[in-house]
Amino acid sequence: MKKLTEIMDRREFLLSGGLVGAGTAVAVGVIVKDRLPSAPQDPTGQATVRNLNVLKNIKASENEDNLLRMQRDLVKAMTKPVEKRHWIMVIDVRKCIGCYACTIGCVAENKLPPGVVYRPVTTREVGGYPNLRIQFTPRPCMHCDNPSCVPVCPVKATWKRPDGIVVIDYDRCIGCRYCLNACPYGARTSDFGRRYSSEAAVGAPSGKDRPVDGSSALQWELKPNNEYAKNWDRKKEESPVGSARKCHFCLHRIEVGQLPMCVSTCIGRATYFGDSQDPESLVVELTSKHNVQTLIPHWGNKPQCFYIV
Amino acid sequence: MANSSVQSAHNLEHGASASPWTKIIWVLWIVLLAGGLFGVAQRLTHGHLPTGYGSYVPWGLWIGLYFLGVGISGGAFIIGAIGYMLGVPGFSSPGELRMAIVLSLSAILPAFLGVALDLGNTERLLYVLIYSKFTSMMAFNAWMYNIFIVTAVLAWLLSFRVRSVWLKPLLVFGAFLSILFPSQSGVFFEAVRTNQFWHSPILSVLFLASAIALGSAALILVRGVLLPEATADKARSEDDQSAFHWLRVLAIAGIVVYLGFEFAEFSIVFWNPGAHSPNVVFLLAGDYWSVFWILHILLGSLIPLVLLSAAWRTGWSLSALLVLLGFAAARMSILVPGQVAGQIPGLAEAFQDVRLTYSYHPSSTEYLIGCFMVAVGMAILYVGMRLSRVSASNAA
Repeated sequence: MKKLTEIMDRREFLLSGGLVGAGTAVAVGVIVKDRLPSAPQDPTGQATVRNLNVLKNIKASENEDNLLRMQRDLVKAMTKPVEKRHWIMVIDVRKCIGCYACTIGCVAENKLPPGVVYRPVTTREVGGYPNLRIQFTPRPCMHCDNPSCVPVCPVKATWKRPDGIVVIDYDRCIGCRYCLNACPYGARTSDFGRRYSSEAAVGAPSGKDRPVDGSSALQWELKPNNEYAKNWDRKKEESPVGSARKCHFCLHRIEVGQLPMCVSTCIGRATYFGDSQDPESLVVELTSKHNVQTLIPHWGNKPQCFYIV
Repeated sequence: MANSSVQSAHNLEHGASASPWTKIIWVLWIVLLAGGLFGVAQRLTHGHLPTGYGSYVPWGLWIGLYFLGVGISGGAFIIGAIGYMLGVPGFSSPGELRMAIVLSLSAILPAFLGVALDLGNTERLLYVLIYSKFTSMMAFNAWMYNIFIVTAVLAWLLSFRVRSVWLKPLLVFGAFLSILFPSQSGVFFEAVRTNQFWHSPILSVLFLASAIALGSAALILVRGVLLPEATADKARSEDDQSAFHWLRVLAIAGIVVYLGFEFAEFSIVFWNPGAHSPNVVFLLAGDYWSVFWILHILLGSLIPLVLLSAAWRTGWSLSALLVLLGFAAARMSILVPGQVAGQIPGLAEAFQDVRLTYSYHPSSTEYLIGCFMVAVGMAILYVGMRLSRVSASNAA
């Protein structure tokens, strides 16, 4: 074995140190740069203000339906620049009856393929006979203020908008599924390119349990969906096939003054949506009146979906 | 010593063709390639449909094999480069250095193949380099691997020169990267701060220790299988003995350190059960008990420790193979348990689908592509060693 002085000469030693030092400096530089706050990826300011005509002809009344009130709140929020709004969801689990209308409404609105779900509703038995109840807990994306899914994305395909909604760029996502593992709520699912039409023919017996006719499912599922106000065409197996997908608070509906589909379809009026920056909004009223909780708060994600329990 | 090294290098680069294992290796390779190509065809025609992972267990066998390949690559390079620079007999010739570099490359390139096929959008693979965000360990690792590959190839090219002032600096830089990226494989999981099973700094140590064991084992396997024993050639025999001695010591040390830290990690759960105890129970006594106890501990650690300690050359090669298998199981023992314990009670039952379950068993397609990764690695190793031989002859 060589002596230490024989391992390399002075020049080689300096070059080695230079390479290692330069490599370390560059690595530290790029990490620090990407950790520092940067300008939002989305447009901000007056360009994002929307003066929507929704509900203009319907007079507000004191005891109007919560859906109308939330929609008014939404239209009001849209008159502010995007960075002045902060969307939150409030779910009153005492009212939730587990009808899954929100789950199905979401599937229909976003034309979700098999295995992709944005808003499942969990069922849990609490207590024991005779003091027993079933608790239903809808679980949309929490749109965390400190999302654990965003920093792990290697290609900047997911980020938090100035209005608080965590979004995914389907045309950028490489489908590594790192974000799926980083989300403690299991709110992200991967689109593996499956189709109801091709799966309808298998798995079920004949008779009344016979699966739906594949051709009719095909007509529906190949129609483009409008997530993020774009037309996502599944015919060519392009985006979002292969990408991570999740609830986006129906951003495409919000932009035109409509409430998220799960809110509209909730027959028990258990789901609320609105701007937490508006002190007069229904969601602010609910979160300040009630003892609200968030799911697994100890991770520090600061989820923006609140549960009234 | 110089003469013995030159002779050793000469034999090393001519040895592959003289191995008694040649025919068996060719048959094995053809079988792996044929099966692997069938798997690739399935993946290309049916996408991810024939795979076993889903949305709640998003990473499976290919990711496990990817981290295995990265470990072998880093370990082989560190050992080869440091052994060469220190002039350790059995590592000190350019031929021995080139073998370690080629082995390193033949492990890391198929690892990328596994990741590429695992991506939902494989065609966007290069986005990781184009749109990199360095808050993600995945982007950071991707860059580091690529810089390492360039460094390794440059070192391989410069090793043919009689004297190059850049060779040792590149080896130092490559060894530096080789220490970092296996450790960062641990950080890749640790960085998931919302996963209590993974969010532990011990994973970096485990991955680095396993890289040393894997690199040593892979070098033992290549030397033991591809290079015939040369009892008649005294100089080569001495180098051979020295190389096997150091590689066995390193492999044993790597395995022992790995087991020690693994025990430290898991024993805490039993002294004071925490939130990640369901993951540990799943691994030690649940669905994955056989992967952990039989593949990782018994076949992949304890038997190799015995074989490596014995004075039996064939046993060393066998133990090296077992170490590779055992650490593949060890990778899966980190990967899968970390994904099977959902944090929202009842989520898997809330919306039932085969891809929305907290269980994972690799499909036949995944195994076949695993075979393809091994076949590609073997091909790169073979071509690399042939190129080393031809180039060395030309240089001479």
